[in-house]
Amino acid sequence: MRYGAFAEAERLEGVLGDPGDPASVFSTAACADLDDADGFPTDVCAVLDGFDLARLYVPAEFGGGLVDYQDAVQTMRMVSRRDVTVAVAHGKTYLGAVSAWVGASREQAEKVGALVRSGLPISWALTEQAHGSDLLAGGVTATRTGSGYRLDGEKWLINNATRGGAVCVLARTDEAGGPRGFSVFMVEKAKLDPATHSPVPKQRTHGIRGADISGISFSGATIGADDLIGREGTGLESVLKGLQLTRTLCCALSLGAGDHALGIATRFAAGRRLYGRGLTELPAARHRLATAFADHLLAEAVSVVGSRSIQALTGEMSVVAAVVKYLVPTRTEGMIASLRKLVGARSLLRDVLEDGAFGKVERDHRIVSLFDGNTLVNLNGLVNLFPILLRTADNATAPDTDGIRAAATVTEPLAPMQHKRLSLLPRKGSSFLLALPAAVAEVEALAADDDALAPLATAARALRTALDGVYAAVRELPAVPVNVPTTSFVVAQRLAACLGGAALLQLWLRTRADALAETGPSTPLWRDGVWPTLALDRLLASVGTPTPAPQAHYDTAYDVLTAQVGSGRLTSLFDHRLAEATR
Amino acid sequence: MTSTDTTTSTSTTVPADIAQWLAGRVASYLDTDAATIDLDLPLAEYGLDSVYALSLCGDIEDTLGLVVEPTLAWDYPTVNAMAEFLQAEIA
Repeated sequence: MRYGAFAEAERLEGVLGDPGDPASVFSTAACADLDDADGFPTDVCAVLDGFDLARLYVPAEFGGGLVDYQDAVQTMRMVSRRDVTVAVAHGKTYLGAVSAWVGASREQAEKVGALVRSGLPISWALTEQAHGSDLLAGGVTATRTGSGYRLDGEKWLINNATRGGAVCVLARTDEAGGPRGFSVFMVEKAKLDPATHSPVPKQRTHGIRGADISGISFSGATIGADDLIGREGTGLESVLKGLQLTRTLCCALSLGAGDHALGIATRFAAGRRLYGRGLTELPAARHRLATAFADHLLAEAVSVVGSRSIQALTGEMSVVAAVVKYLVPTRTEGMIASLRKLVGARSLLRDVLEDGAFGKVERDHRIVSLFDGNTLVNLNGLVNLFPILLRTADNATAPDTDGIRAAATVTEPLAPMQHKRLSLLPRKGSSFLLALPAAVAEVEALAADDDALAPLATAARALRTALDGVYAAVRELPAVPVNVPTTSFVVAQRLAACLGGAALLQLWLRTRADALAETGPSTPLWRDGVWPTLALDRLLASVGTPTPAPQAHYDTAYDVLTAQVGSGRLTSLFDHRLAEATR
Repeated sequence: MTSTDTTTSTSTTVPADIAQWLAGRVASYLDTDAATIDLDLPLAEYGLDSVYALSLCGDIEDTLGLVVEPTLAWDYPTVNAMAEFLQAEIA
């Protein structure tokens, strides 16, 4: 079936052309050369500016073209599937502006919207060299003056800090600090006295080498009172809410990297012959590809439901974002590492296979699990939610079934985004978790009439048992949030797997009828519960409760994968023709 | 920054001394005795994670039947400050 969120992506593909065509500005060859030179992708970004990609960074209510967040994800995925570096370099502006979408007055948000639409790159300056991810330890200060504020201190490892025309800065406005001691400022460099700020040099990196990973130092920089986003003291709140959006959108980078790596490996396997035998004649090689595809479909399903949840289950994004940002990058890292073993020596060679893109995509993608809240930060975020998730499960709080349906039915139009509905806490728990028993029962009822669904029913039951195990484990954990014990992180990993599994089951349940009605190359994945059974196999294996899917399901996945790659379609649950499509 | 939107509840019993009750909740989060909680000391001083502290709004909803902003513990950082706010909301 087709997925409506690909409409903009398809237009962008038409503009960018076949990445295998060396004459194209955004070709694999050009990106490899830039990477060799640690060069910023200036020309490619100019093409994206020509497409006015930045209109997708500005919500429609503030003057932009961002209506559905899922569209931004799938469009950015097209950038990332060509080069993660470019996606990081260009997409950063959404992160720079997001504090305004969640925390500013309408007038101020519209002003920031106009800045973004003007093509100005905006960066998001949260971290500092001495404090890492500990935002409340930040030492950059904004001190009140008669007419505004005075900024002092240094932000470091900031994407686009040097190239950006504006920097959204988290600064301490109360000497004592604390959760109300920080505020966010939109600092336009052109309005500053040049003597009061200076760039901290770009760091050379092992991945996303062309990106401007640098810093900025302020020394008595004077900014106006109207540069404060929202009210004083709301900095942490707006950053945490903004992160709920950006962490979910990060899945676009992983999906694109996964598409790229899976495409290279599949083409390589199809063409590789040794001693008169093709690599794909080896069952182990086919199984490795099919397993990687299962991981990729798992990541895609979680991303689709996660990005639709932004509008469908807005108040639950604190838990959904943490799950997406934990699961999708880590699964994709694992998938690429596994494919590297198939590609073998060529994954390390610069000039032999597709301009050395396999090695590059693996290096580039490593950033995704590190930035915007690394894996441990996201797991810690889930640990913080243990009390409310357990309480709502024990109270049998009713899940938001309308929200689930909207998030998981991809043919259903989404309600307009209401940023004010973002909440630091999922007050009524996680609907996906609360609705899991009902979803499992639904699968069991379908399986009672259709033997082909028996493996999915088995996997769904195993998922429910795993979730019961998570609740039992949370009860056993000491209630000591000061020093989070290692066991809590392990339980959080299992919880994330359960929530991801619950979300993807919903996607299959709510969308399968439409998927089966509109046939295409991806249809076999939707029949007999093939893809959810495979995805649950991968998830359950990762949390120590293996529930293997039938080999026939892996064979089906392999056939769809080779058909999609062979015809220039996206490696996906959906049918989406790429610029290089042959038929 | 904090507001309440409903105060109706039928199944909860409001503790007579909200401050003592809150101290008990905080103590349980910290795995310590309620008597050791200084009612006028910011919770952050005990090392309570600022995001974890948001969970208090769930206890408040369950026990007092008050729906409060999760950031209550940020705006009223001590047990006494929170209790005073909640008392006013209930009254």
